[in-house]
Amino acid sequence: MNNGLDAPYPTLTRLTQLSFRLSRAIMCLAVLPAIACLAASVAMAQGPAPVTNLQSADHPWDGGDNADLTWEVSADDATLVESYFIYKAMMQKGPIPADLLTESERKYALVDVVPAGTTEYTVGSVPGSGYVRLKDLSDEQRALFDPNDLPDKPHKKITVELGYLFKIVAVGSDGSQSVETITAAPYSPTRQWFDAKRMYLLIITIIFGGSVVFFIQHARAGKDLKIRKIGGLAAVDEAVGRATEMGRSCMFIPGILDMNDIQTIAGMTVLSRVAKTAAEYDAKVEVPTCRSLVMTSARETVQAAYLSAGRPDAYNADFIYYVTDEQFGYVAYLQGNMVREKPAACFYMGAFYAESLILAETGNSIGAIQIAGTAMPAQLPFFVAACDYTLIGEEFFAASAYLSGEPEQLGSLKGQDVGKIIVGIGIIVGVTIATLAAWFVDTGFLTTWSEYIKGVILT
Amino acid sequence: MTTTTKSDAQQARVILATDCGSTTTKAILIQLTDEGYRQTHRGEAPTTVEEPFADVTMGVVNAVVEVGELAGRKFIDDSGKIIQPATETEGCDVYISTSSAGGGLQMMVAGVVAEMTAASAKRAALGAGAIVMDVIASNDKRKPHEQIQRIRELRPDMMLVSGGTDGGDAKHVVSIAELIAPAKPQPRFGSGYTLPIIYAGNKDAAPRMNKIFEQGFELLIVDNLRPVLERENLGPARDAIHDLFLEHVMAHAPGYDKLMGWTDAPIMPTPGAVGNILQTIAESQNINAVGVDIGGATTDVFSVFDKTFNRTVSANLGMSYSISNVCAEATMPNILRWVHFDMDERELRNRVKNKMIRPTTIPQSLEALVFEQAVAREALRLAYIQHKEFATTLKGVQQQRSVGDTFSQETGGQTIVDNMKLNLLVASGGVLSHAPSMNQTALLLIDAFQPEGFTTLAKDSIFMMPHLGVLAQVHPKAAMEVFERDCLIYLGTCVAPKGSGKPGKPCFDYTIKGSTLNESGQIAFGEIKLLPLAEGETASVTVEPGRTFDCGNGPGKRVEKTVKGGTVGLVLDGRGRPLELPESREACKPLISKWVEAMKLYPGMG
Amino acid sequence: MGNAYTPGLKVVNRITHQCRRILPIPGKVLVSKGDHVEAEQVVAQTFMPGDIMPVNLANLLSMPPSDVMECVLKKVGERIEVGEPLAQTKGIFGMFKQVYKSKDAGTIETISDVTGQVIIRGEPIPVEVRAYLTGTVTEVIPEQGVMIEADVSFVQGIFGIGGESFGTIKMAAASHEQELQADMITPDMKGCVIVGGARVWHDAVRKAIEVGAAAVVAGGIDDQDLKKILGYDLGVAITGTEKVGVTLVITEGFGDIAMAERTFDLLKARVGDFAAVNGATQIRAGVMRPEIVIPLSEEEVKAEEPAKLDGGMLETGRPVRIIRDPYFGLIGTVAGLPSEPQVLGSGSKARVLDVKLGSGETVVIPRANVELIEG
Repeated sequence: MNNGLDAPYPTLTRLTQLSFRLSRAIMCLAVLPAIACLAASVAMAQGPAPVTNLQSADHPWDGGDNADLTWEVSADDATLVESYFIYKAMMQKGPIPADLLTESERKYALVDVVPAGTTEYTVGSVPGSGYVRLKDLSDEQRALFDPNDLPDKPHKKITVELGYLFKIVAVGSDGSQSVETITAAPYSPTRQWFDAKRMYLLIITIIFGGSVVFFIQHARAGKDLKIRKIGGLAAVDEAVGRATEMGRSCMFIPGILDMNDIQTIAGMTVLSRVAKTAAEYDAKVEVPTCRSLVMTSARETVQAAYLSAGRPDAYNADFIYYVTDEQFGYVAYLQGNMVREKPAACFYMGAFYAESLILAETGNSIGAIQIAGTAMPAQLPFFVAACDYTLIGEEFFAASAYLSGEPEQLGSLKGQDVGKIIVGIGIIVGVTIATLAAWFVDTGFLTTWSEYIKGVILT
Repeated sequence: MTTTTKSDAQQARVILATDCGSTTTKAILIQLTDEGYRQTHRGEAPTTVEEPFADVTMGVVNAVVEVGELAGRKFIDDSGKIIQPATETEGCDVYISTSSAGGGLQMMVAGVVAEMTAASAKRAALGAGAIVMDVIASNDKRKPHEQIQRIRELRPDMMLVSGGTDGGDAKHVVSIAELIAPAKPQPRFGSGYTLPIIYAGNKDAAPRMNKIFEQGFELLIVDNLRPVLERENLGPARDAIHDLFLEHVMAHAPGYDKLMGWTDAPIMPTPGAVGNILQTIAESQNINAVGVDIGGATTDVFSVFDKTFNRTVSANLGMSYSISNVCAEATMPNILRWVHFDMDERELRNRVKNKMIRPTTIPQSLEALVFEQAVAREALRLAYIQHKEFATTLKGVQQQRSVGDTFSQETGGQTIVDNMKLNLLVASGGVLSHAPSMNQTALLLIDAFQPEGFTTLAKDSIFMMPHLGVLAQVHPKAAMEVFERDCLIYLGTCVAPKGSGKPGKPCFDYTIKGSTLNESGQIAFGEIKLLPLAEGETASVTVEPGRTFDCGNGPGKRVEKTVKGGTVGLVLDGRGRPLELPESREACKPLISKWVEAMKLYPGMG
Repeated sequence: MGNAYTPGLKVVNRITHQCRRILPIPGKVLVSKGDHVEAEQVVAQTFMPGDIMPVNLANLLSMPPSDVMECVLKKVGERIEVGEPLAQTKGIFGMFKQVYKSKDAGTIETISDVTGQVIIRGEPIPVEVRAYLTGTVTEVIPEQGVMIEADVSFVQGIFGIGGESFGTIKMAAASHEQELQADMITPDMKGCVIVGGARVWHDAVRKAIEVGAAAVVAGGIDDQDLKKILGYDLGVAITGTEKVGVTLVITEGFGDIAMAERTFDLLKARVGDFAAVNGATQIRAGVMRPEIVIPLSEEEVKAEEPAKLDGGMLETGRPVRIIRDPYFGLIGTVAGLPSEPQVLGSGSKARVLDVKLGSGETVVIPRANVELIEG
């Protein structure tokens, strides 16, 4: 049962163990009310003096998964005691009649070993403060235990549903053990409305949200927010202009996914701009779609764009039509249409799969200005190579803010950028700390932070 | 029109050229001397195109007579005509003229897309020397009735209509023509004048144009100026403008029919001729050149980069009629940056307006001069910005990409003006050529244009470029020789690395080897240094720029070049490019003072 | 710069003034030679061709442009009223016909089968030309307009805004050096030409607009005040079309500057007389300055000697005004005319003249920086 502790469990073993522990727990629960036995004391006859005044208290600002223990050190602390062994036992919540549960019934598990002189300890879910594994112990300490007393995996977290008893045993350098000191009453943690462990999250949220609000206000106040020029969006005018001069149409392909895909929605934003420009230039925009819903949305978008350009009369719904749901049926249609009609500008804005290169190459061969935008990493290289301009991932989603130029959208874009910068810095710092901590094993500071990152931020 | 064959012209020994400006007619005489062609004499007389004279040739004759008196030659015979060909004591072999009298050639252009065919049409018109009053395009954000209103309001001398590639769009260009025809623009020259229209658009729409402009217009159909979007073909449209300018516009100006009979080459609009000579020079010497002519009302900027010629006219950026507009566009704080002493802003504003309503006054005190030159810097800077925005690569062209372009997707229509590639900067116009000291002209140019790398600075001595522009068409050799020897006064060379740094930190090291100037040293960032290098002299300059500075070969790379001297000398400019001045006026003043002192701009000032 | 000096502004008690009143396009002249006309009388009128309204039927009726010809119900040259059907589609088997009703009234100018566009020309716009000058018609230019002549007192300003207006002269300032403030303008100045002294403040102009004055005449104005009045910074001195509610004429220039005493006295002498004012200024080609024209009554014509204008030669003893700093606005007499160019304080060389100022001091001024005081 315990010999597998040092190695990761194969899944099967883990499952077996789980079921075993489960059945044991059920058995325990079943027999608990019925049996009251005396605990078999493992105390050594001639150990150091026990600790006194052991108290368990609620850990402030947590989710009810920690317990603070305080005690007064053993009288022999300075002389005999080498360390204190801290144990935890789980039981039902609320005051439990003492007669219902004898000492022996309480299944204590070793939580941690702390050096002499320590007077407080937090039992919780943070690794390193929750349980002890065999490998963590020195050979002498290991000899003191029945390996069965040690948990085979982390203790279940302390939860508000259950009550806990704690005991501390002072252990001398010769291995002698004191009489155990047990908390007077079962401790049941309470949950606060705010988990201080997640303070970093609050700060980050405030910074993220704050920067968005700040930049929105900044933009509203008329300050100039510099947004990098996105070549692909700036080139919409050029592409539509080309179509106008050449007396050809613009083809807009909103991807092959339905409206529930965020990329299709982003594509609609760009379509709105393309249609508005086309309305101003009095050029023709053709939008073949491969989903019926996309067709409806595209119609609405284009109509609104024509209206805002002051040319509602020039809007023709017949140019926005549904082709087929079949991926390659759709592509075959587009390809044929492109070769026959030779549109002067092609826009690919949405989610694309294998058809990306087929479309982009066809467009390139007919001499069209092509602007693509997608967040499909695998298709981006094809678009970049075959199209005139490509909106890459984030750029594509930033399009609506970029195009509208509204302070709200620009501000939130800028605010999100601040968030991304913080995340970027966080990743670099975290990786550096973790790397250094692995390198210089015994540096308190690095280890603490590395543990914090692993245990708090990444959990 | 007298036609002189090219071979005749090549034999010419005496060449007479006139430029009929709106106020003055200037004549110059070019003679074949032992040193080759030289400009020998000049004369001027008031232009006589308006009432009560109403005959441009009177002014021409007056100016020519003045030249004749100075040269001791007789050019005008008893019947009041120019004597041709030349004998030992009389007449000239070649007579040419340019004209900008009566406000020059005012045009309106139209195209389909403002940034594409309409821009090409504008380029063609500007290049031919016209003033473009407005550009009509189907995407100029004006409603059709607003466009019509505009066409009716303006009174162009000529219109250029373009649009659509060959075989491309016909709908838009026809609809624009359909707006122009009923709007019937009223020409300046009165109801007897039929408005010439040049059509240089989609050839498929030409028959429609014939029908639309059947009545009341003089339609000339030429090759499409944008046969495909990838290529501009401005030549035919430009030639057509010149032809129609002579046939229609000039024919309606008093006395021009007579003048046209005298000249050996077609009369050209003055700015067109200036562009011509600049192009000839740039081509023959294989250099990139920028020319500027700052006037009272407008500023013309000409540029030739990689053999592409561009001209812009910044209407309303000028030093007298438009001075108030310069102040409004540049804003007072921007102008005052260049002034190194305290001035009362309210008083200045009133002074500017007073100059606007009394445009002929000249600065009497040094303070007034400093301020006027500060305004000139901003006017030139703004005009150059406008020029850069206009002189671009073609828009609407398919781009060729590779995966390497992922993060640097440049759009079409980037400016072709590159100050690093600029070799020659030529200045003309009152405030530049009449500045009391050439050092002022030189620094004015440097501050406004911010040339990078090695740039030769020059000024047009007596505004001879228009004459030479026409001469270049009949006798390129004479034009070149005179341009080199007499037209340009070399101010010197400016060496300025691109980049920015901390004030006081090293910007570049220099070593100069020449016959009179041998020096080496270091220029700190924010410093400017003037070294004497007389006209006609050259020196070899080696520059080792700092890590963040580029002098033409890339950041930190050594550059060695031979530079030309001039009346000002060699300017080593370590102020960085783009040239940035501190925001606060207090921080700016000592800095400008330092530069003024280093350049010995205003020796009279304490 | 052809001129060595700026020709001065005319300020004369009596001059025979001619004025050409021309229609922008040919029309009908309503008066004949020798007629006496009043300033506000219409002397010529015409109709400008109406505005044109393009209607894109191909788009409106969703059909190819080539079909438009067949669907238009009117012919070129026919009249159409608002709400009248302009075109009707053929529909399917004669059903589902779509009709486009005209939104504009006018005549059909063209119908295009390339763009599908029909152009309707709207009602002609009447254009009238008023006499402006109370006087006698000396010449009728058929179909174009008239020449009107009268003996007048004539004051030219240096700069103005607003177009032609008419009213009786009323003094607001007591001296030519008094600034024109808002409290000096009273409601009884409605329809009057208000004469101030030195600088006019922008709230004074506001007040003048409020009381409904016809025009304001003053010596100077501050650049910022002008900006407040116009609502923008004036870039080029081409004015006359502003619609600020009052015509403004500045006689001397920008800044704190008093009106020339002569001008002020002349206007003061003519208080209560009817004047025509035009603020239109154009400083480029074909110089136009703002003016105040006060027609003389017959008795006055007899009393006043016509002023002799010699066109102005710069000669010793002539009164001149200095028109550029550092002596801007000062008036003096020519004390000497050195022929050789001199080096100025600015370092440039120019031809100069010596001017004896009122204070007795003699200063050297470039010739370009003075203007003759004429009349």
